[in-house]
Amino acid sequence: MLTTRRARTAHLLLFVFIGMIIASSIIGWVTNRTVTGVYEKVVADGLTTAPNPFAGVTPLYYLRNAVIYVVLIGSLMAIVLGVQATLRDRKAATTDLVLSRPVGSVSRLLGQLAGLGVVLAASIGISFFVSWVIISVINGAPLGWADTGRVIGFALLSWVLLTTFALLGMLTGLRSKQETTALLVPFVIWSAVAFVLPQIGTAARPVSLLNPVPAVSSTGGYFDIVSMVTGPVSMTEQFKTASSIILQDTAVTGNAAFSILILVGVLAVMMVIVAATPRSRMRSGLNE
Amino acid sequence: MTKSAIATDNLSKSYGSGVALDALSLAVGIGEVFGLLGHNGAGKTTTVNVLTTLLEPTRGNAEVAGHSVTADAMGVRAAIGYLPENVQFYDNLTLMENLRFFARLSGLRRPDQRIHDVLRILDFEGHDRQRVGTFSKGMRQRVGIAQAILHSPSVLFLDEPTSGLDPEGVRTLRETIVRLNAEFGMTIFMNTHLLSEVTKTCTSIGILRNGKLVHQDTLARTLADFPGEESLEEIYFRLESGHVS
Repeated sequence: MLTTRRARTAHLLLFVFIGMIIASSIIGWVTNRTVTGVYEKVVADGLTTAPNPFAGVTPLYYLRNAVIYVVLIGSLMAIVLGVQATLRDRKAATTDLVLSRPVGSVSRLLGQLAGLGVVLAASIGISFFVSWVIISVINGAPLGWADTGRVIGFALLSWVLLTTFALLGMLTGLRSKQETTALLVPFVIWSAVAFVLPQIGTAARPVSLLNPVPAVSSTGGYFDIVSMVTGPVSMTEQFKTASSIILQDTAVTGNAAFSILILVGVLAVMMVIVAATPRSRMRSGLNE
Repeated sequence: MTKSAIATDNLSKSYGSGVALDALSLAVGIGEVFGLLGHNGAGKTTTVNVLTTLLEPTRGNAEVAGHSVTADAMGVRAAIGYLPENVQFYDNLTLMENLRFFARLSGLRRPDQRIHDVLRILDFEGHDRQRVGTFSKGMRQRVGIAQAILHSPSVLFLDEPTSGLDPEGVRTLRETIVRLNAEFGMTIFMNTHLLSEVTKTCTSIGILRNGKLVHQDTLARTLADFPGEESLEEIYFRLESGHVS
């Protein structure tokens, strides 16, 4: 944990992640002020009687962009931290020192994961606490218990997603024969999960891509089967769905409980896969 | 007869069809400094890896400090210290942080006092707040010895401990090994290429050739058995090549 905390890459990614999450709140606040300013001028000119579009938004509105930043910046940060954690030991041969102690390989790997989990939890905790403060300032009062609970729920879900990607990084750091592959493989998997799989779901309904008017939803058939298969696998989509529902984004529909179940399930499976890494693999050198 | 700190019985290790260790049977008495000699690829590192439980033997068994490497690997690990060849540490951590980490892995709950004691033994005080990444090769090797003896092991394994050290570093390391053996009664098992160091530090030697033990005896008896040879180097080449009358 200490080595991860001291790593420069980790610092850089951490600052970018925290910065983006905080920027998310500030962007929301600026948007609100700009739109409200224009709205008030338009109302003063007597050009509209419609209500201010920001009048009914929840304070958590300002945190919605953070969902995307967690998926994009946070996941990459988690992958890099995960790869570094296991690859460093293989490169420096410190694995032999560790495994010659009365410590099992499972304990060692779970210990590394616990360290990463704490670092990720601290990053998320700092980011979301600062966001909470900013939103409270924008709101003119501290967020209520219910909204604070939702922010905590979103933070927990972010931790689940990022820890899963950290595990993916640990796994490729343990399994790859070259340093470049160790980083490249999880990035490819991440881009497939974050971009390709959701596109497959969308492309399965080509009309919705071409026609700006929402297509009448069809039930059954090939498209739905594809969607049923790719949907749960695309855990970033599950994260977006569950987080948006937690943050009371009414534009998003879905089953938050199902999405959370998928996310926690994938995390558990990844933990088992990483913990099952044999000692010989942990000790193996790199072909570089 | 001294009781064995290390005893192997037909210990073998294969990688696919390649035999790295072939029915190795040797015994190292308690309190000995044992030097395992052999060319590159003779099986020295494999022997140490099996004895430190990093590798499982394909056949046979070994006992280290009374614990079986196959049946009681955790017992072996608790009783030994190990310094691999060319090991690095966590460069962005200080000496103290590195040693704390390894001490806790060995079960020491409040290790700071013990760490200071070990650093004093190794004459390595005053560097505890320095990052290990800034250390010379010789200093790193002392960190390696320090982490290996933190938990007061009864057997210490050193794999090519003098590799890459300058003459000063070699001498310091030799003095450390002799001191650990003399003052703390530690049994020391080391792989080495430096025959001049073997004569200065080891009490007994073994010679491996292609995974087979071709010679094992005390250093004094080995030297006495070859009165015509000028040095251990000559004896080593005769034994290693199999040209022994």
